[in-house]
Amino acid sequence: MSSEVDDLVAKIMKELNGNGGTATKAPAQDTTSADPDLTAKDFPLFKKHPDLVKSPSGKELKAITFQDIVDGKVDSKELRIAPSTLRMQGKIAAEAGRSQIQNNFQRAAELTSVPDDRLLEMYGALRPYRSSKQDLLDIADELADKYHAPICSNWFKEAATNYEKHNKLKGDN
Amino acid sequence: MKRQKRFEKLEKRPVHLDGFVKEWDDEGLVAMHSKNDPDPSLKVENGVITELDGKKREDFDLIDQYIAEYGINIANAEKANAMSSQSIAKMLIDPNVSRSEVAKVTTALTPAKASDVINQLNFAEMIMAVQKMRPRRTPFTQAHITNTLDNPAEIAADGAEAALRGFPELETTTAVARYAPLNAISLMVGAQAGRPGVITQCSVEEAVELGLGMRGFTAYAETISVYGTDKVFTDGDDTPWSKGFLASCYASRGLKMRFSSGSGSEVLMGYTEGKSMLYLESRCIYITKASGVQGLQNGSVSCIGVPSAVPSGLREVLGENLMCMMMDLECASSNDQTFSHSDIRRTERMLGQFIAGTDYISSGYAGEENSDNTFAGSNMDVLDYDDYESMERDLAVDGGILPITEDQAIKIRQKAAKAVQAVFDGLGLPEITDEEVEAATYGSTSDDMPKRDMTQDIKAAQDLMDRGVTVSDIIKALDDHGIDDTAQAVFKLAQQKICGDYLQTSAIFDKDWNCISAINDNNDYMGPGTGYRVWENKDQWQKIKDIPWALDPQKVDF
Repeated sequence: MSSEVDDLVAKIMKELNGNGGTATKAPAQDTTSADPDLTAKDFPLFKKHPDLVKSPSGKELKAITFQDIVDGKVDSKELRIAPSTLRMQGKIAAEAGRSQIQNNFQRAAELTSVPDDRLLEMYGALRPYRSSKQDLLDIADELADKYHAPICSNWFKEAATNYEKHNKLKGDN
Repeated sequence: MKRQKRFEKLEKRPVHLDGFVKEWDDEGLVAMHSKNDPDPSLKVENGVITELDGKKREDFDLIDQYIAEYGINIANAEKANAMSSQSIAKMLIDPNVSRSEVAKVTTALTPAKASDVINQLNFAEMIMAVQKMRPRRTPFTQAHITNTLDNPAEIAADGAEAALRGFPELETTTAVARYAPLNAISLMVGAQAGRPGVITQCSVEEAVELGLGMRGFTAYAETISVYGTDKVFTDGDDTPWSKGFLASCYASRGLKMRFSSGSGSEVLMGYTEGKSMLYLESRCIYITKASGVQGLQNGSVSCIGVPSAVPSGLREVLGENLMCMMMDLECASSNDQTFSHSDIRRTERMLGQFIAGTDYISSGYAGEENSDNTFAGSNMDVLDYDDYESMERDLAVDGGILPITEDQAIKIRQKAAKAVQAVFDGLGLPEITDEEVEAATYGSTSDDMPKRDMTQDIKAAQDLMDRGVTVSDIIKALDDHGIDDTAQAVFKLAQQKICGDYLQTSAIFDKDWNCISAINDNNDYMGPGTGYRVWENKDQWQKIKDIPWALDPQKVDF
């Protein structure tokens, strides 16, 4: 379980580069600037723009077939949302006046590359009295360096500052 | 004292078993407004909120800090907060002002200001405002699907029946916590067998629940609780930053989610700071908005015994639903907990949400007899179906529940029980016998079910998690047993999680997997002739009209 997203990203990198990438880098082609502009008219993507929706390894949505799953040819890790899709949905939300949802989806896009178990641990670390300030700052560094997740990294830094001020750090209870 | 006979009779009425208390501001036992509530105020300097509802930035608690940082649309804030509460309240009920125009103002208010706006409205005005402000044009409702024995065949059968009756979302939980993966799987399979497109959740501890979603056993979550005071939030073992992060975790796995909050929770947990229930709930609503979560389950939820005991309490509950909608959030409007012994008050409880229509009128309605509801009983249950459907028909209101025939129920229950029997076989879980399928098809409660070996089930549940079983294995199991249509439905649900359309506000799926949300089914109510009218939704209205117990006068011999 712990490294399933890692494995997947590694596979993607391998497919892209032909020589394998590091297991923890976000896919290089997946940049914000490449995302198309979308509005409410483009919703739902499933009906209007299935071609824009890719699996985590870059397959087109419609290329993942029922028969492939039944035949065991599709890894269940492929049945996940890709960061580019989250950013597209974020644009649709912002276009409808919901900028906070876009912010959430931008954080989420970053978190797609964090393995399940590590993600659950990070959530646990933010719960009250679990972490020292340094613990939170270490995770902030991990998010920035290992997962290229600057927004989420900042989230942890902000929590560290606020938890210190409002006594929510380990030992404060 | 010599007893007066009428008073003696009145005391024996069910309503006298309910709890009623007088207001006590300092303990927060007050619905709409406490003498300790702050006066609304706001100061913005260089795009930063430096004063919020009477507090300077340096005095903010963690919740104030979070709301000031993320929860208020700052660009319009000074202008919106300078308006009188009464003029904003009038916009809410003015049919000439569109929902989106109102939301531009209301999403820029402070929590205390939004509370003051709600205080301007009487109950009838709240109904009018909810009708306009709910994000999705088409109203729906949600069901609980549970039983006290966690019997998988019964969960699947009840889920399928509820799906056929029109619930687009179903929620389960457990009687025994370690059953969680089995209940989640049974409900998902039952729901897809009943009506493709229905999405399901399993309400358990936060991290466990997310884990179930990651494996594809659930499609959404809603019991991510937030609270209105710092002390209670901490006692709930979270902070705004941890809950906001959790929201992003869900979205990162393509899972829909909403937060949950409700008036009375701070009273029950003992730290109200002497504030009114409405003001504390306003803070929860703003935390939700700040987190970028698309929606909220609110309306006191499981704490309904508290507001319903004080004056104007059920007005406050509809008021907090309305405030949620004013913040442009999906609202699952509660009506989900037993609170009264009086059938009249049970009806009163849901009247506002039912008449106005909300995204989910109940969250949820007991899709089993209340004796099997492991959420501690809902306001209405399966034995109220015919009353509820009569009310929809009487008032021409779409309450989201449709009549079905006995024959339809038997067929769909059997189909779902057989589907989950196949899945248990395919996943190597303890057998669901033909006897269980038969009992789930024709039974009404877990008393009608043969007893399972619960120790074996629990061991198997753990083993299933250890083996790393995912939704792909469920699709395979259904296909191996020739249950093609349900296998296809589970596959299509998995596809939708890659696509993320249903992460948008107020999203559900119809039977053809069309995603219906506030983006493409935006509430356009602007007075008579606009908005959702059930009789214009001809298929739905025909079904509501055709309750199986209505006589056809043209075929009756008088």
